[in-house]
Amino acid sequence: MKVIAWVVLIAVLIPIQSVLLPHASVWGVTPDLGLIAVCLAGVLGGELHGLLVGIALGLVMSLFSAADPVAGMVIKGAIGYVAGLAGRHVVYLSPVILAVGILVTSCLAGLLTVSLLKLSEQQDLWWALRTIVLPQSVLDAVVGAVVYWIAWSRLNVERWMAEYRM
Amino acid sequence: MRMVNFRIPYNTGRLVLVLAAIFLLGVFLLPGQLQRVSEQIGGPIGWVLSWPLRTVSGLSNGVADLWNSYVALRGVEAENQELRRELEYLKGQNSQLRESAAATERLAALLEFKRQAGVSMVAAQVIGRDTGNWYRTIILNKGESDGFRPDMGVITPAGVVGRIVKTTAATSVVLLVTDPNNAIAGLTQRTRDEGIVEGTIQGTARLKYIPMLSNARPGDRVVTSGLVGGFPRGLAIGTITRIDKEEGGLFQSAELVPDVDSDQVEEVLVIEPSTVSSTDEIRPGASSVNPKPKSKP
Repeated sequence: MKVIAWVVLIAVLIPIQSVLLPHASVWGVTPDLGLIAVCLAGVLGGELHGLLVGIALGLVMSLFSAADPVAGMVIKGAIGYVAGLAGRHVVYLSPVILAVGILVTSCLAGLLTVSLLKLSEQQDLWWALRTIVLPQSVLDAVVGAVVYWIAWSRLNVERWMAEYRM
Repeated sequence: MRMVNFRIPYNTGRLVLVLAAIFLLGVFLLPGQLQRVSEQIGGPIGWVLSWPLRTVSGLSNGVADLWNSYVALRGVEAENQELRRELEYLKGQNSQLRESAAATERLAALLEFKRQAGVSMVAAQVIGRDTGNWYRTIILNKGESDGFRPDMGVITPAGVVGRIVKTTAATSVVLLVTDPNNAIAGLTQRTRDEGIVEGTIQGTARLKYIPMLSNARPGDRVVTSGLVGGFPRGLAIGTITRIDKEEGGLFQSAELVPDVDSDQVEEVLVIEPSTVSSTDEIRPGASSVNPKPKSKP
């Protein structure tokens, strides 16, 4: 059942990221819904869950991008695993803590991407940090926190998390 | 105590008859005077009677208004709603027809270009953009099952859009000419100086490796040179806006404004590689030789 739910989520997430979000970009940058989903998958489901969802999302998202699929799988998988570890050690996860976590994770993932993708000479580290990594991290953190806050205020997330991990 | 007798006395009937006869006689003999008398008597009576009349009339009008405003207008309200719905439907239909007309115009231009170009091309639609922020790409609705392969050139009648870098069975990812990771062989149309066109981080393009002795200048058009596979010779890429010469450098470079606005592209043509060779050139009749800058496909 969980697998079907994640497959449906990925199937919905790709069109949103590829078709709808380019129309709502901020500073020419769109939030990475895949990264947010992987973070939430790790936090909710644990390391293994985060890793698997991360690898799957990294692969699927790279199919609709010029990015290297292996780099996508490695980065998203690592994010899911780290989010799972972090989720296991955090007793009380508030939207603010999650936002900070996503901000840091997105920054690290962006820097890792710059080094793995072998971009052109024009796209140096400072350019990447200034124009993509930092704006995207902020957007990821805001969107992730809002999504979690909605789930947190409307649903009993803590009970849900406990049941989900069983 | 004397009681009032309400009974009509015997002579009263006769008196009434006499008075009636006099009245009738007056009507026939003195009609004008009688009318004046009746008017004088009738005025105050009419004034007095007008009050209940007005009251009843007001009540009647009020009820009628109430009826017309609330009860009878229920039908009008429904009719209004129906008309509004019809208006919305017609507006939507009008919008769809306009969109269809625009699409027809674009597709007709694509077909005409395809017919004139002399190379085999397949039309495809843009269905999305890159899922990340690192590359400028568009996603097409056709892929390997339609014969699309990496390195195939993608164009519109306005000029070069980019190159396919990745395919799935049903989709293709096109790296745009404005992406810094893209490189296409190009030449200045007037001076015939060849170079490499690559994208910039500002979203424009740059023609690199122009010989130092070239007299290329702003306003010159840059087209594909056909030296590298994917594109035949003569497809429009962009217009030079600035020439950059470095002190002591071996080459100069030129900044270009691409002819195709990649944000506005909706339909494209993918060039089939078997029909492209370095000697092919887009026929002069094809619109890409002198397209309007930044025009829609």
